[in-house]
Amino acid sequence: MHSDIVISQSDGRPMYLQIMEQVKQRVAVGEWAAGDQIPSIRQLAIALRVSVITIKRAYLELEREGVILTQQGRGSIIAPNPGLSPQLYHEELSERLEEVARLGDLLGLSSEEIGRRTKEAANRLIEARPTKEIV
Amino acid sequence: MNYSMVKSLILKDWYFHRRAILLSLAGGVVSLGIVALGGKAGFFIGLVFLISIIITIAATLVMNTLVGERENQTLAFVMSLPISYLEYTTAKILGNLLIFVPFWLTLVAGSLALIVAAPVIHGLFAFTAIMAVEILVSTCLMIAVALVTESKGWTISAMIAGNLAINVVGYIVAHIPGIANGMWGKAIQWSPAASISLATEFALIALLLGGALFIQSRKREFI
Amino acid sequence: MNDLSVHFDGVGKRYPHFSLENIHLELPTGSIMGFIGANGAGKSTTIRILMGLVHQDEGSVRVLGHSMPAEQAAAKLDIGFVSEDMRLYGQATLAWHMDFLRPIYPRWDQSYAEELARRFDLKLQQKIKGLSHGQRVKAALLLALARSPRLLVLDEPTTGLDPVARVEVLDELMAVLADEDRTILFSSHNTLDVEQISDQITFIDRGRIIDSDDKEAFLDRWRRLRLVLPPDGVVPRLPGVVEVGGSSRLPVLTTNRYEPVMVSVCNDLGATVQAVDSMTLEEIFVANVHSRRERLTA
Repeated sequence: MHSDIVISQSDGRPMYLQIMEQVKQRVAVGEWAAGDQIPSIRQLAIALRVSVITIKRAYLELEREGVILTQQGRGSIIAPNPGLSPQLYHEELSERLEEVARLGDLLGLSSEEIGRRTKEAANRLIEARPTKEIV
Repeated sequence: MNYSMVKSLILKDWYFHRRAILLSLAGGVVSLGIVALGGKAGFFIGLVFLISIIITIAATLVMNTLVGERENQTLAFVMSLPISYLEYTTAKILGNLLIFVPFWLTLVAGSLALIVAAPVIHGLFAFTAIMAVEILVSTCLMIAVALVTESKGWTISAMIAGNLAINVVGYIVAHIPGIANGMWGKAIQWSPAASISLATEFALIALLLGGALFIQSRKREFI
Repeated sequence: MNDLSVHFDGVGKRYPHFSLENIHLELPTGSIMGFIGANGAGKSTTIRILMGLVHQDEGSVRVLGHSMPAEQAAAKLDIGFVSEDMRLYGQATLAWHMDFLRPIYPRWDQSYAEELARRFDLKLQQKIKGLSHGQRVKAALLLALARSPRLLVLDEPTTGLDPVARVEVLDELMAVLADEDRTILFSSHNTLDVEQISDQITFIDRGRIIDSDDKEAFLDRWRRLRLVLPPDGVVPRLPGVVEVGGSSRLPVLTTNRYEPVMVSVCNDLGATVQAVDSMTLEEIFVANVHSRRERLTA
């Protein structure tokens, strides 16, 4: 399977997080369906020019979250029920919201102002959304 | 000892010097021809050419194959090959001898044949043989110094010392009674003194190369 | 099969003005190790000892199961070595070098060599002396790779390369690792290259290994904490802090033993954690070297 994962060196986040996020996105938009074979750790490492251990870590975390299944000697597949459970996204959302709150506070914004800005961002996303529904 | 590796290294050095050797061989034959043309002038001019060609090739070979590997930083490439340092040293000593000696021997044999063939100078046979081997001794001195020091400066010093030695030895040999007598005569004379001189020279060669090999085997840093 | 392709145990080498001391190094088969150090830190000496080109004064070195330097000829049959100070024969062509090496290495891969020449844009019949620096590095790398070595040892392979050539070289290194039995050790002072492709990372400074770990552990362990202290507040004592910078009210702590729980610990001690920054390998390296040098001079 060809992977179009792109990682950025100037993105502040660790590379394994970038890889995890992009795998999840592909599952979320339906490009990678349940049961699909995904690239092996080494294949992806070579394709992305990123160390094996980084990909290994991303896959381990993805497995822990129930997004993929790794079978000994047979590589990895997208889990039948890729546990991209609402709970997982909710957890991440809370984390990001806290970050937003902290940044807002740092800029001296009121909580009303922070709320207003958040709403605007949500509206922009809906307007820009392609016809395809995001799960 | 991995002889196929040693062979590869020797063939490599031959490959890089084959043109110079063959050209010089042709030059040596021309010099011999000048000697053969006869006349006192022809004799000396030819001889000077001949000796210069032999010494130049010896110096070029030693400089390029021994000092050059380090100066041109190709030593790291050579030492990345599956060889031990002893194999490297062996390849360098054997290589220099195998490339130089046939060239040298051809010209020496030509000179001696010329002496035998010429009607008047048979008496020079012993002196010429001793001096030819002395050139070999000087070459081995250069090989030993270049191997051990891997330095351009020291190798040039050895080259100068070797060339001076040729003159000094020539003077001494020409005054050894057993050799000096009949040197300009018409008959070939081989005296015990001549044998001793040759034996001494070969012993020196063995000592120089054996010593270089010994010192090399005790080195702990190769690059 | 031995799981370690390279194993240094207590290796030392003394020179009049420099010494390598107590070097321990373990490189698992199938992985790639980045060896980072400033110029003169001892990277090249370590690599020469690995290759058997310099004999250690003490300690044991095993490479691909062979004891070094005694069994270097056997070991080097399976090693591809390229160093920054290595030159090919200027008066010969790349094709000559390939013909020279082919009979020496039983696993020489001629079609791969020709394929690499195409990809690296090298002409087989061109003499080495006519090549640019980048082309020479790629030619040397080609000659090392086509040996199909089980261990690839590269001393500063990307130094002096333009960005395109660097990516080409890194691509080939990664391609080597498609075969799980092959291992790479490469030294660099370019931490970006090392950070991207290495599994294992070893820092060396002034002849000593100052840290060695797998890369993810490195990046996880090191963090910079930006704190805000109340007036008259004290900087909380946290584990693994190697550096305290910033101002008195806004201190910045660098730790090499970060745990997420540190944030709440700080908050409990009255210090607000403004941010927890992850660090690049370069920042980690520099902080590591600084803290070690300070400890030595203290």
